Amino acid sequence: MKKLLITLAASLSLTLAASEASLSFPDDSLPALAGDELIISMQHGMQVYVNNCQGCHSLAFQRYKRTAEDLQIPENIMVSNLIMSDAKIGDLMTNNMSKKAAENWFGAAPPDLSLVARARGTHWLYNYLRGFYTDDSRPYGVNNGVFKDVGMPHALEQMQGLQAKTEKVKGLENDVAYAHADIAAANKKIEEGGNKSELNDAIAKSRKIIHDAEDEMVKLSAEGEYFTLIQKGALTTEEFDEAMADLVYFLDYIGEPIKAERKRLGVWVLLFILGFGFIAYLLKKEYWKDIH
Amino acid sequence: MTKLAQLMEWIDARFPATKVWNEHLAEYYAPKNFNFWYFFGSLAMLVLVNQILTGIWLTMNFTPTGEQAYGSVEYIMRDVEWGWLLRYMHSTGASAFFVVVYLHMFRGLIYGSFRKPRELVWLFGMIIFVLLMAEAFMGYLLPWGNMSYWGAQVIINLFSAVPYVGEELAVWIRGDFIISGATLNRFFALHVVALPMALLLMVFLHIVALHKVGSNNPDGIEIKKYKDENGIPLDGIPFHPYYTVKDIVGVAGFLFIFCFIVFFAPELGGYFLEAPNFTPADPLKTPDHIAPVWYFTPFYSVLRAVPDQQLGVVAMAASLIILFFLPWLDRSKVKSMRYKHWSFKFWLALFIVAFVVLGYLGMKGPTPMRTLVAQIATTYYFAFFLLMPWWSRWGATKPVPERVTH
Repeated sequence: MKKLLITLAASLSLTLAASEASLSFPDDSLPALAGDELIISMQHGMQVYVNNCQGCHSLAFQRYKRTAEDLQIPENIMVSNLIMSDAKIGDLMTNNMSKKAAENWFGAAPPDLSLVARARGTHWLYNYLRGFYTDDSRPYGVNNGVFKDVGMPHALEQMQGLQAKTEKVKGLENDVAYAHADIAAANKKIEEGGNKSELNDAIAKSRKIIHDAEDEMVKLSAEGEYFTLIQKGALTTEEFDEAMADLVYFLDYIGEPIKAERKRLGVWVLLFILGFGFIAYLLKKEYWKDIH
Repeated sequence: MTKLAQLMEWIDARFPATKVWNEHLAEYYAPKNFNFWYFFGSLAMLVLVNQILTGIWLTMNFTPTGEQAYGSVEYIMRDVEWGWLLRYMHSTGASAFFVVVYLHMFRGLIYGSFRKPRELVWLFGMIIFVLLMAEAFMGYLLPWGNMSYWGAQVIINLFSAVPYVGEELAVWIRGDFIISGATLNRFFALHVVALPMALLLMVFLHIVALHKVGSNNPDGIEIKKYKDENGIPLDGIPFHPYYTVKDIVGVAGFLFIFCFIVFFAPELGGYFLEAPNFTPADPLKTPDHIAPVWYFTPFYSVLRAVPDQQLGVVAMAASLIILFFLPWLDRSKVKSMRYKHWSFKFWLALFIVAFVVLGYLGMKGPTPMRTLVAQIATTYYFAFFLLMPWWSRWGATKPVPERVTH
């Protein structure tokens, strides 16, 4: 009975959870860092941020002083190297961009990024930052593999250089586009009363083409063959990826500055509750001895 | 007489302190066979106190205006000493409240705690549940994130499905033609003053009604039937100290899970704090997928399962209202699941599956397959209650013991 219910529930959850995520590239995982390595990464991430991002993207809920304390940056170094405006150490990390003008330039004002890591997640950010590629149809000449038709220009082009989709990828995308068109055409013919079994076969064939092409793209992306560098930047690809990981870890810190501390504290809280619970249990046992 | 006893006597001559203490704790006799399921009443009280205390401190730094609400929450998270802890305790507490209340209601369902003479205990409890939903819904708008905004938009729009006056009703609730600072401000007033007061009053009535009739127990039999020469139930034990010390163990178990979430996973993978709520409310940018917080999703699924919007709203309201009638729907000869016919467990198991499936589907975007499953689950949800007068009488019950089994 129970077994039957569990199998039923399991099969139901499988059919209902059928994948809804579409593919996006790149799709690499953020390298895991901890301890001193993580702090150093965040410090470097901040350096990248104030030099390349802060001009447009404020961090309006976070203060320099708190950041200096948490990231173990001496205050004098923060003031002389990382505060680019005449802001004081206790000030919020804002900028002077005019919202109105920015809307004019980019279509939408660059958002504040204090909470972007919590809203988007670090995986998304890491790939978004590495996902700009050349696309002549866009106003700034670039598109993004993770955020299609984003209004933002490739701000880090000087660091990364410029990448483009490889010929192989372009070919596969063509195949997918044609397959989708074939499916649409076949569906239309079915509606008009065409030979159903024949057309359904054609649809299945096109679906397989799409499926195979997507598999191939995932494979290419994993092998680093999805994009190719057509113009060199100041950094090598490895250096740039590392810098982007640092930037993501910095934004992850900015999203929730208390994260490390709450986890540290949480261990002690849970240990206390365990001890408290043990004593409470002994007390209960003592009282309940005489209840039969 | 000691000084303390003198003081107590002085107070008792003017206020029934000792009398109340005895009637509700030291000489309130509860059945001695309470099990795991009986922790959740006191835990609900604990969470209520948590919500009120953390809520008071949050209001000290929260600014209920459309311009500043979002920023003031981040101010609490970063600049207010221990503000992050208050906020996470409050946001986790909201979900914890529903967890313990759902389990508390489930306890009532399996042991027949709503049956005569405890109908009013159940009804007061149901009013608490509805108030709690309103409280949670309004509280969810306050951080003024984008999911706050659009979630409230969807729910308030439901009121415009009311015939004739719907549109005006929705405007009256919002205080504006769209959700705006005016809505936020009134929701704040209701969330921190009106609804908590109503909740406290109903919790008081819930307990007064309970202590009048006495607690049910897992055997679903009345302990007042057998009393000793002093009129004390033979199977009853004083709530204090026996259940106070026992409940403290439950509190420790609860706090372990609660604090684990607060300190290690306050977002709980997006179920307690949803990712789109980390971007400010934007009337021009709809989130990809609007889903209410998990505790509303079973009822939200019922709404979406009905193709017609107006009827969907009716179905959703009905799915709540029907719970009020539970005391008169169950016609079984015995109260507790322990002595009911085996078929009860079968219908109940299916009900749990239906409720969980509805909850799951409410978080997901609709597909034809999902809608179909939601419709089946919704049908079963209503059939479970509406057909209860018949199926609950079906089959032989087991003999009920005279005294509680311990």
